[in-house]
Amino acid sequence: MYPWSSTSYSGQAPAGDAVQRRTMPNGLDDQEKLLAEAVGSARKQAFQMNHFLDKERMLDALKCASTMLSELRTSMLSPKSYYELYMAITNELCHLELYLSEKSQKETDLYELVQYSHTIVPRLYLLITVGIVYIKNDSTLKRSILKDLVEMCRGVQHPLRGLFLRNYLLQCTRNILPDVLVAENEHEGNVYDAIDFVLTNFAEMNKLWVRMQHQGHSSEKTRREKEREELKILVGTNLVRLSQLESATLETYQRLILPGILEQVVSCRDAIAQEYLMECIIQVFPDEFHLQTLDPFLKSCAQLETGVNVKNIIISLIERLAAYNQRSGKTSGNAIDAIIPAEVELFEVFSVQIANIVQTRMDMPLEDTISLQVALLSLAQKVYQDRVDYVDKVLGTTAQILDRMNMNNISHLLSVNQELSRLLRICIDFYNNALTIIQLYNFCPLLEKFDYTSRKSLALYLVMNILENETCVSTSDQADSILTIIAPLIKDDESNKDSSAAAANSIDPEEFAEEQGVVARFIHLMKSDEPDMQYKMLQTARKHLGNGGGQRLKHVLPPLVFAAYQLAFKYKSIADEDENWDKKCQKIVQYCHSTISALAKADLPDLALRLYLQGALVIGEIRYTNHETVAYEFMTQAFSLYEDEISDSKAQLAAITLIMSTFEQMSCFGEENAEPLRTNCALAASKLLKKPDQCRGVVACAALFWSGKQNGEEMRDEKRTLDCLKKGARIASQCLDTGVQVQLYVELLNHYLFFFERGNSLITVAMLNQLIAKVNEELPNLEPSEETKQIESHYKNTLAHIRSRMESSDAALEVSFAGIALNQ
Amino acid sequence: MLVLVLGDLHIPHRCSSLPAKFKKLLVPGGGRIHHILATGNICTKESYDYLKSLANDVHIVRGDFDENLSYPEQKVVTVGQFRIGLCHGHQVVPRGDPEALALIQRQLDVDILITGHTYKFEAYEHGNKFYINPGSATGAFNPLDPNVVPSFVLMDIQSTTVVTYVYQLIGDEVKVERIEYKKI
Repeated sequence: MYPWSSTSYSGQAPAGDAVQRRTMPNGLDDQEKLLAEAVGSARKQAFQMNHFLDKERMLDALKCASTMLSELRTSMLSPKSYYELYMAITNELCHLELYLSEKSQKETDLYELVQYSHTIVPRLYLLITVGIVYIKNDSTLKRSILKDLVEMCRGVQHPLRGLFLRNYLLQCTRNILPDVLVAENEHEGNVYDAIDFVLTNFAEMNKLWVRMQHQGHSSEKTRREKEREELKILVGTNLVRLSQLESATLETYQRLILPGILEQVVSCRDAIAQEYLMECIIQVFPDEFHLQTLDPFLKSCAQLETGVNVKNIIISLIERLAAYNQRSGKTSGNAIDAIIPAEVELFEVFSVQIANIVQTRMDMPLEDTISLQVALLSLAQKVYQDRVDYVDKVLGTTAQILDRMNMNNISHLLSVNQELSRLLRICIDFYNNALTIIQLYNFCPLLEKFDYTSRKSLALYLVMNILENETCVSTSDQADSILTIIAPLIKDDESNKDSSAAAANSIDPEEFAEEQGVVARFIHLMKSDEPDMQYKMLQTARKHLGNGGGQRLKHVLPPLVFAAYQLAFKYKSIADEDENWDKKCQKIVQYCHSTISALAKADLPDLALRLYLQGALVIGEIRYTNHETVAYEFMTQAFSLYEDEISDSKAQLAAITLIMSTFEQMSCFGEENAEPLRTNCALAASKLLKKPDQCRGVVACAALFWSGKQNGEEMRDEKRTLDCLKKGARIASQCLDTGVQVQLYVELLNHYLFFFERGNSLITVAMLNQLIAKVNEELPNLEPSEETKQIESHYKNTLAHIRSRMESSDAALEVSFAGIALNQ
Repeated sequence: MLVLVLGDLHIPHRCSSLPAKFKKLLVPGGGRIHHILATGNICTKESYDYLKSLANDVHIVRGDFDENLSYPEQKVVTVGQFRIGLCHGHQVVPRGDPEALALIQRQLDVDILITGHTYKFEAYEHGNKFYINPGSATGAFNPLDPNVVPSFVLMDIQSTTVVTYVYQLIGDEVKVERIEYKKI
């Protein structure tokens, strides 16, 4: 019996029965206290040990080491505290190891000696320490000692203690594992021995780790899982060690290492271990290895426990491989497909294995299944950029999965919807080209599976993408496909009328207008250099966009009309090349007419009126056969809208002014058409509700008889121009509000001056003087106010203008200002 | 003091967006522009919000295709020593006629009158007053002029001087011209 294994140390064993029966203390303070105590006594022993080592009293030193190590027998510490204690103690063990390395030749029986230590934990720590010293001194012992140590460690079956003990073994052997294919001396061992050693250690550690889950009361499950989480890295270190063996080739990995690990992972039937270790495999071994072992790895994935998040494991592998592909693609500068060996059909393998997993793991939530498809999709996009068919295949598979589960009208409130949307958004983002999206045959079928709300938001996403990238749609087929995809933006939910009506009410009008504005902007990106194709596209768009109801028409039809007007100009410009341009223009104008009348019917008279007026200008400019009649038709349509539909007095004044200013610019009318239009304008202006509006309307009319065209020339009808002004003056005189009246007189004076300067000989200086006299008479009587001030400065500016004209020596002035009395 | 003058965007009626080269010049949050004077036909809230992102002080008058009834027909804004009048110009018959515009200048009692509606940039002195038409910033379609050049104007106002820079997108290039006006 050795003296240091006697009674003196059994007293320090950490354990009255009463204490041991207690569960591990929860309190942080308790832990700190316990840890401090343990570390304290360990330090004391360490000090003693070093002291004895200095004096070369080996046995006493070993006794102290053993006492120090017995602190590690505690069951009181949490994994975190235990780890700190372990670190403190193993640190001290280094001194011992160093000392032994120097002196051990003399002490040949140490390996035997330490085995007589009283309790197993200190004994094994010492055994490992000494064993390593032996190996370092004589490498021919390596093979047998390693084997011995890894077996001996089985003696500790308490999970926490066992895990740390084996971790110590792993740390100590870190630099001495045999890493050659064939050893010079077979007793030194080769890489296969190393693999065997680590795999055994790994298997044992994993078992200990898994066993932790099943100890103690079930109410402490959460805490236990947290503790296991803290310890996982100890188990994972085994895999790191395996990956560091340089002599382990791909072949070795395929034949020994991976099967060894997977066998343990699958058979341990513990979800936490499986999830972590699979992830660990992915992270620690090189990508080149993964590429060649996809099948066994993914097959194992299918066999994992139900609680395992297989999705994350596979996604992690895919992301790693995709990143590898991109990384090596950059450094080597090769074509992308050359990086991943051609014989590895990455997409195919994943595709098949994922399908397999989806089928075998019935418990997997649908979201996860879809997430796997998302990962597969991003693999296809990152590694096989040109293979649109791969992407399409993923979409197809996803649609089938949903079909099988009879999932339709998938609500935007479901979480699976998010993953599904992501699938489609990734496609849109990746290509940044809607024309590629419409080549995906399964895009629409998959889109059909969503409910209206999500289809709409995806549609919006697509259109925004088109706008951002300015993707030009240049054929009617393309236009048709895209407009089909974005149908939810174009019309209400047809499948469910009641709920859609309710939804329409709840929609924010601003948001709605914004959505429709986006669709409207998209229309301008339907552009073809071929006018005939452009016309076809406009027709296609009209068909799609025509059924959205007034609220939508307001936004989406005007762009069509303007696009058509532009197309008409295009035909006009190629009149020499296309002999049918005339007929085509007629058709386009018809198209516009019917589109505008659809707007008029949708109770949008103001908008329709403006579009008719723009049309009249276009027709007047293009001058195809029969254009005059059609332009007249457009003007009369505008008039009837004005008369029948526009009732607000402000809107009326705005509308009639627009009609007049449009008409004033048009020169295509012969007298038989021009005269009724002019008369109508004058009549309409005089019938406005409010006197000031009447006055201004009638005065604006004067320009029609002056600069308005008659047979292509300015009309210059002095009498009728003056008639309008006079009528305006008469209406002004009827105004009861003096302020408004004076304001109108000042405006009238300006209009009189305008035509006077243009050379209307019927306007006399006497007329101007009369107006000036009126203003002079009334202006001082106005109550002082902001309005009065404005009228005064308007008047002042007018007089200044007259004065400057009177003083002007400009010979170009046709008329004489002589005789105007400014200061009456 | 920098004043951005633009208008007749007609988004989304007549085009899908501002020219990319203009968007690069007019970046939200740039912070250099103090005021924006818009001649109308801004048409949508998005366009308005965009202008707001360029400068906090945005003045807009109503164009013939503006639905927003709260935009006035005319407006006077004082910047430094200048009174600036703003009016879209579709109310003016004959359209764009300098004498007809002078009527508005006298009525609003302004040093500078800014109008749009013709889709053609112009800047000139007339009767000692200054007239600016920034054209259409999107080069929107105009039945009376098939070749609209997208343009906008930046005014640098320093005491009694206005230096006007006009930005025009000719072909695929932005050309800038400088015109100076001094108040008497």
